[in-house]
Amino acid sequence: MSDFDGLFRAAGVTGWLHAADLDTGREVGHGSDEPVPTASVFKVPLLVELCRQADAGLLDPASRVTVGAAERAFGPTGVSVMLDDVTMSLRDLAYLMIAVSDNTAADVLAGVVGLDAVNAMLAGFGLHGTHVAHTTRGLYQSMADDIGHGWPYLDVEEIARLRVLDPRHTNRSTPRETAALFGLIWRDEAASAESCAWMRTVLNLQVWPHRLASGFPYDDVEVSGKTGTLPTLRNEAGVVEYPDGGRYAVAVFTRSFSPAVNQPRADAVIGTAARMAVDHLRR
Amino acid sequence: MDLVRHLRYFIVVAEELHFGNAAIRLGIAQPPLSQRIKRLEQELGVRLFDRSARQVRLTGAGRLLLTEAREIVIRVDRLHELARHGEDSVLKVGVPPDLAAAVIAALVAGFRETRPEVRLAPAEIWTADQVAALTDGTIDVGIVRHPVTAPGLHFGRLLTQSQGVLLAADHPLARGGELHLADLAGQELLLPPREGEPGLYAEVLVECRRHGYVPAQVHEGAGLGLVLAGAAVAFGPREEVPGLAWRPLLGSPIALRFSTAWRAATDAVTGFSAVAVRTLKERAGMADEGATPARRVSRRPGSLA
Repeated sequence: MSDFDGLFRAAGVTGWLHAADLDTGREVGHGSDEPVPTASVFKVPLLVELCRQADAGLLDPASRVTVGAAERAFGPTGVSVMLDDVTMSLRDLAYLMIAVSDNTAADVLAGVVGLDAVNAMLAGFGLHGTHVAHTTRGLYQSMADDIGHGWPYLDVEEIARLRVLDPRHTNRSTPRETAALFGLIWRDEAASAESCAWMRTVLNLQVWPHRLASGFPYDDVEVSGKTGTLPTLRNEAGVVEYPDGGRYAVAVFTRSFSPAVNQPRADAVIGTAARMAVDHLRR
Repeated sequence: MDLVRHLRYFIVVAEELHFGNAAIRLGIAQPPLSQRIKRLEQELGVRLFDRSARQVRLTGAGRLLLTEAREIVIRVDRLHELARHGEDSVLKVGVPPDLAAAVIAALVAGFRETRPEVRLAPAEIWTADQVAALTDGTIDVGIVRHPVTAPGLHFGRLLTQSQGVLLAADHPLARGGELHLADLAGQELLLPPREGEPGLYAEVLVECRRHGYVPAQVHEGAGLGLVLAGAAVAFGPREEVPGLAWRPLLGSPIALRFSTAWRAATDAVTGFSAVAVRTLKERAGMADEGATPARRVSRRPGSLA
């Protein structure tokens, strides 16, 4: 299906994609096994491990933690931009981590759950191409170390030096494995059925309309997912649910030719490509 | 010993304060350069450089003699210059082939007013070829685009020219006010040839990319035929060309930098340089280089999540 190539190129990006019908197992892909940096999509395995530790009685998701004003990670949403101490339950932090990609919430949860535990969970599911090496603070620190200054990164040569864009040195996955992780959540296999139901609710509350959801502009189609963004990199993975019960896990990863931060066409092609893949699966 | 040649070596070493760098600039190996400086020191009976430390420094005598050495070299160059041109002299000038005809005409007229005894002979040459032509003496002075680097060349005042977009009059983007570079997505781009304008070519494409415009194809050339045909867009100053529309670029992201360039300064060269600065400002929409305003990058939450 080289149609994907043309679609991505017309939007100024290179893209990799995998889509799977959650009930029949039919698949379609474009570079499905390409190692890709996940950026904030890594917050999904973190969410899964949080739920599994709650299921195992290792932590209480309703227990409250205080995030001091000085403990904020870089980020434009949620607790990351709040000025004062915040006291919130672990599961509410998880909601912010998914719904608005709150970096501070993610780092607090990573501290509670432990990245080693997240990686052990991924290995346990056989997702050996998926690995979480850094918290969001680690991702931004790595960029500052590579370039010597903070965001924004707009110089093409500087961007070429960023280790966060090299899957060997950062949080990574493949389109196939990321779609598989969503399949586990939607089939109640990632954690307890109760926890999986809550994860689906939270993933369905994500606020961004510009990527995956933009490809399915229908009131009777549900789109749940999690985005990921770094310089030139735009991702989203999630599940699309049709009114006839069809459910499709889709993971789309892109790199843009231009370093411009605001590229609506590059965001939208994630939805267009996902739509093309789902159409193919429904034929 | 050829004293003038030795003085030229002395001047370059004094400017670089590094024998290796000076040798590269002069296009000779380092050992013979060191030997020649030693011979000059013997000839003059003074030490010019202090090489005792790990760095090269001018001695007091060296500093004193440097000014004189420069004077001597300039006068010798003038002597050769005058001998070459005689009384009825010609100033050979390089101009970018895509400089508007009206601007070239104004340059010729303006120079004739100030120096009626010197005839101006303009040749259309791209920047990279002008550098070569200045070095081998084919032209005396040029109008070049920056960035350009060439050892031994001197540059006049840096001028900038803000670029807009030239498109076919019936192009869908031709109506309206300003354009943003990102609006050009999908358009093919016409640029001056990469070999002739390597600095401009690279800089403009980087700026386009940074602003979200990655041309599907870049055509190289000076003629606007492709633009007239609606097959490509080009950057340029505001220009009235039948069949073409010009639209300003939002935020002035593309500004070309020009200056005059020469190797040996003669009265005619300095005179032309002054006329060129004035003419380019009055007729080609150029301005003195100011501090470029920092570009704002909008941090919309969804673009970072």
